[in-house]
Amino acid sequence: MSEQWRLLLTGGNTAFVNMAVDKAILVAHSEGKVPPTVRFYSWVPPAISIGYFQSLLEEIDIDACKKFGVDYVRRITGGGAVFHEKELTYSIVIAESHPLIPKNILNSYERICNALIRGLQQLGIHGTYAPINDIVVDGKKISGNAQTRKMNTVLQHGTILLDVDVETMFSLLKVPNEKIKDKMITDVKRRVTSVHHVLGTHVGFDQVAAAMKQGFEEEFLVTLVKGSLTSEEKKLARKFEKECFSAFEWNHRR
Amino acid sequence: MRYHSIYKVPQGKLLKISLIYNQPDRTIHQVRITGDFFAYPEEAVELIEQALEYAIFERDHLMTKIQSTIRTQKIQFIGVDPEGLTQAILNCKP
Repeated sequence: MSEQWRLLLTGGNTAFVNMAVDKAILVAHSEGKVPPTVRFYSWVPPAISIGYFQSLLEEIDIDACKKFGVDYVRRITGGGAVFHEKELTYSIVIAESHPLIPKNILNSYERICNALIRGLQQLGIHGTYAPINDIVVDGKKISGNAQTRKMNTVLQHGTILLDVDVETMFSLLKVPNEKIKDKMITDVKRRVTSVHHVLGTHVGFDQVAAAMKQGFEEEFLVTLVKGSLTSEEKKLARKFEKECFSAFEWNHRR
Repeated sequence: MRYHSIYKVPQGKLLKISLIYNQPDRTIHQVRITGDFFAYPEEAVELIEQALEYAIFERDHLMTKIQSTIRTQKIQFIGVDPEGLTQAILNCKP
């Protein structure tokens, strides 16, 4: 019988709740209280997340976010700013010592991305891993990923783009030079794709989630069993949401 | 005086440096390292920033400080390396 991991389908939540839930699962798993966990989720309202090392004010046009009702949050993972709107977001939490997770960080990115690539295959999309942290289709990015390791536990989260709205994204992000904004938009359109663009048809969140579930199961030879957050995880998440992810001090720390 | 630089590490990520430079004694008084790179553990980047306070603004000196902190704190960078970080800091010089 294959190893069983927990599958969480937590639907749409605010940026603060989403990041708090990922951290709560990390803490709970590090204490041996929950099994390895894969979660699929979305962002309501749409949000921008920035990498741990990014400067909020240098990356995000806060006035534009407020105007368009877009949340913003700092992640506990590195990497770049991401506009979360038409996408499936996943997270995986698993012990660093788990035999299925390579000790080498880059190798573990690749291993987890392979699960997503298998998921994309279910949808008829041929993706490939593009180090450091992307998955590309015909050279265009369809997925970005970010990993942290804390308390002997790996948390990797990332996106599968269902559709892309580059203009809206650039209206929310700061660009170093306004004069080259149009060129940057053209460049990003050339370098980024989505499930919709590749297949020429809209594919819903649930269908992509089902494909990704299968991708994780095939890559790791495990069974993902649908579960829910424990009461302790919910309590932790509320604490992290309040004390960290929705707090000015956290989001503006750089 | 505060200076800034943006530096794309070859085959790596984007580094943005902001620092206060003291011309008379050629030292850095404060440095902030931002960007879309990865570091494990993340919190250790702040230790590099601290290690660079009052460092002499000179390539070998900066590189030694950075490498020493990476070694003692067991920091693993992805998308940036000591050479790239040193270069990004040096690019701040007026």
